[in-house]
Amino acid sequence: MAADFWASTQRRYWQFSKEQLAELRDKLDNEDKTLVQQCPLPDRRLLSHFFNTQLVKLGKRMPIRQQAIATAQVYIRRFYIKVPIRQTNPYIVMATALYLACKMEESPQHIRVVVGEASAVWSGSEHLPTKPSFADQQDVIPLDVSKLGEFEFYLISEMNSQLIVHHPYRTLQELQSTLNLAPDEISLAWSVINDHYMTDLPLLNPPHVIAVSAIFLALTLKPTQGGLQATIATAAALSNTPQLSKNTSSADNRAPDMTSNKVQNFVAWLAEGEVDIKAVVDCSQEIISLYEVLEQYKETTCKEQIAACMKKRGLV
Amino acid sequence: MAVSPLPAQNGTSEIKLSAAKAKSLAVRTGSMSKPGNQGAATAKAKGAELAEQLNEETRQKYVKGKKLGEGTYAIVYLGHLKDDPQSLVAIKKIKVNTEYREGLAMDAVRELKHLQELSHPNIIALHSVFSSRNQNLNLVLEYLPQGDLEMLIRDVEGIRYGAAEVKTWMGMLGRAVWFCHENFVLHRDIKPNNLLIAADGEIKLADFGLARSFSDPYRGMTSQVITRWYRPPELLFGARFYSGTVDVWSMGMVFAELILRRPFAMGTTDINQLELICQNIGTPNEENWPGVTKLEGYVKFDNLNSQPVKGRDFYLGTFGLIGSVGVDLLMAMLTLDPRKRSTARQVLDHKWWATDPRPTAKRDLPRKGGGPAKMGEDLKRRGGEIEDGPGDKVARKLNFAAR
Repeated sequence: MAADFWASTQRRYWQFSKEQLAELRDKLDNEDKTLVQQCPLPDRRLLSHFFNTQLVKLGKRMPIRQQAIATAQVYIRRFYIKVPIRQTNPYIVMATALYLACKMEESPQHIRVVVGEASAVWSGSEHLPTKPSFADQQDVIPLDVSKLGEFEFYLISEMNSQLIVHHPYRTLQELQSTLNLAPDEISLAWSVINDHYMTDLPLLNPPHVIAVSAIFLALTLKPTQGGLQATIATAAALSNTPQLSKNTSSADNRAPDMTSNKVQNFVAWLAEGEVDIKAVVDCSQEIISLYEVLEQYKETTCKEQIAACMKKRGLV
Repeated sequence: MAVSPLPAQNGTSEIKLSAAKAKSLAVRTGSMSKPGNQGAATAKAKGAELAEQLNEETRQKYVKGKKLGEGTYAIVYLGHLKDDPQSLVAIKKIKVNTEYREGLAMDAVRELKHLQELSHPNIIALHSVFSSRNQNLNLVLEYLPQGDLEMLIRDVEGIRYGAAEVKTWMGMLGRAVWFCHENFVLHRDIKPNNLLIAADGEIKLADFGLARSFSDPYRGMTSQVITRWYRPPELLFGARFYSGTVDVWSMGMVFAELILRRPFAMGTTDINQLELICQNIGTPNEENWPGVTKLEGYVKFDNLNSQPVKGRDFYLGTFGLIGSVGVDLLMAMLTLDPRKRSTARQVLDHKWWATDPRPTAKRDLPRKGGGPAKMGEDLKRRGGEIEDGPGDKVARKLNFAAR
């Protein structure tokens, strides 16, 4: 967290509309259509989930903070709107993004530690591509210090050396007392924020909108398992789309009064403030649909498709 | 100039952002690596060409001229816009490829990180960034040909100035520091030779190699920052939780130095620096600074060195030049207890700015004209170093264990 978000490079250069993003990505895909057809990759959100789990796995081996992992994910997302993913070795991208993010978030890790841990995480037998044709491969990533150093430079350049990323975590903490949030609500909202890095939301919305959406989801998701429907219904109600409202009643009945009060307070607070409510609704829906998509997630599929793609390109 | 912190005049020195692309990199990976290793940095010819073009465009915009200075960390060149030979810039080429690649130095990362975001008339402007062959990062910085504040301070014979000039310089420094803090950035290396002077006399805070964002609550920071003579007592005592007032202490030391025309306390070691602070400013104890004895590196000074905090009379005697109101400000900046010390904001709110004499107009400030070479000297240096002096390079040590 540094500098003023409203004057930041993040706001000036790294916030897009959905259309702009789609256009940028189409342009990348069109650069080499046959490659795109030959190398199918999973849905972007599934792929992001894969990146996310890999980064968390790598991050666990070093004393680093969640925020560095978050920054790394934003770097990866920024990078892949400028460089076609099929031309890269995603494992190197991940390791480098995390290495740079650690420096940016003031918890620097030595480059050798990052390289060592990354090799340990990704070269073990269980992470080898599983298809027989790849059985002879020794390493998924031929990673060494100079390669990471070299790639760091490339990553910085692609991001126009605009490196500060503003995150929603701070806003969440600041709103804790205003909205009278309980610790479990905070931690739920915190995980929702962690999850939103698997979507395009960091490139679409300012951090406070995401923090508010996360709080909204935490408040409505919390009470029961049926919370999801309630959330969808409330979101629908907020955005005046009535078709989902039939789910409301069942979920509402189960919600304790305390929480519904809090939701009401929250909605009232939102109504008085100047937060873009439409953006909050969009965000919430985006995150909910992320959770639906993630049910199809299979790590092996991601791993295999990435490996196949790298194999094809001779990047392994 | 206004007393109160005006919002930054955005746009005065707008950062021109240009895509800096790693051209050499993509090419290099393709041509030099072993075939099996090729994929790292990616990019087939077409993509690379595009990236290359953009970088090339930026690079072509500038003409690199003669070398102004070279240090362990960077080489500084004079440069200008190709289209306009009058528009001078300084190009700071960061040596990435020293011996073997270890990733980009933390200094460079910090400098990039913060200069990209901070735009203020009293902070050196980063015009753009581009990469050159051999993977060097080039920062295109504002050209500041008039040397630095240290040169003016040291030239006792040649340069005369009084309270009005000191007020102008301190005002510019104060606004720069306030702006950094307002944006949650600690500079952590304020000293006269990091205060460069523009052609119009404006002071520009430079060298963000030690700067960092404010830490999150309950997360410590390293105490090994700020060049020793300007380092506040809490850092000398090893405090890991500190605030913008560390920079205010440095400002106070610069203020004192402007008047004395020599550094106020020139310690040869960290302990010696503490001794000098004890003697010249006062010995920290539980009375004047509650909690000081609990700091990690607290050292008790025996009676010999123990001095009560110097009163107003001492300051009036030594720093009479700035008058009694000015002395109040100096004392507020050099308060031992960082919690009682002025903040950058309070410094700017002080009465002194509105008291006679009025600050000298920028154009009437004395100048020495350090010329391009001096800027080269200033930019190549790493933070925390004193040239030819008792080198203080501790600040450079990166503590990887610290979270």
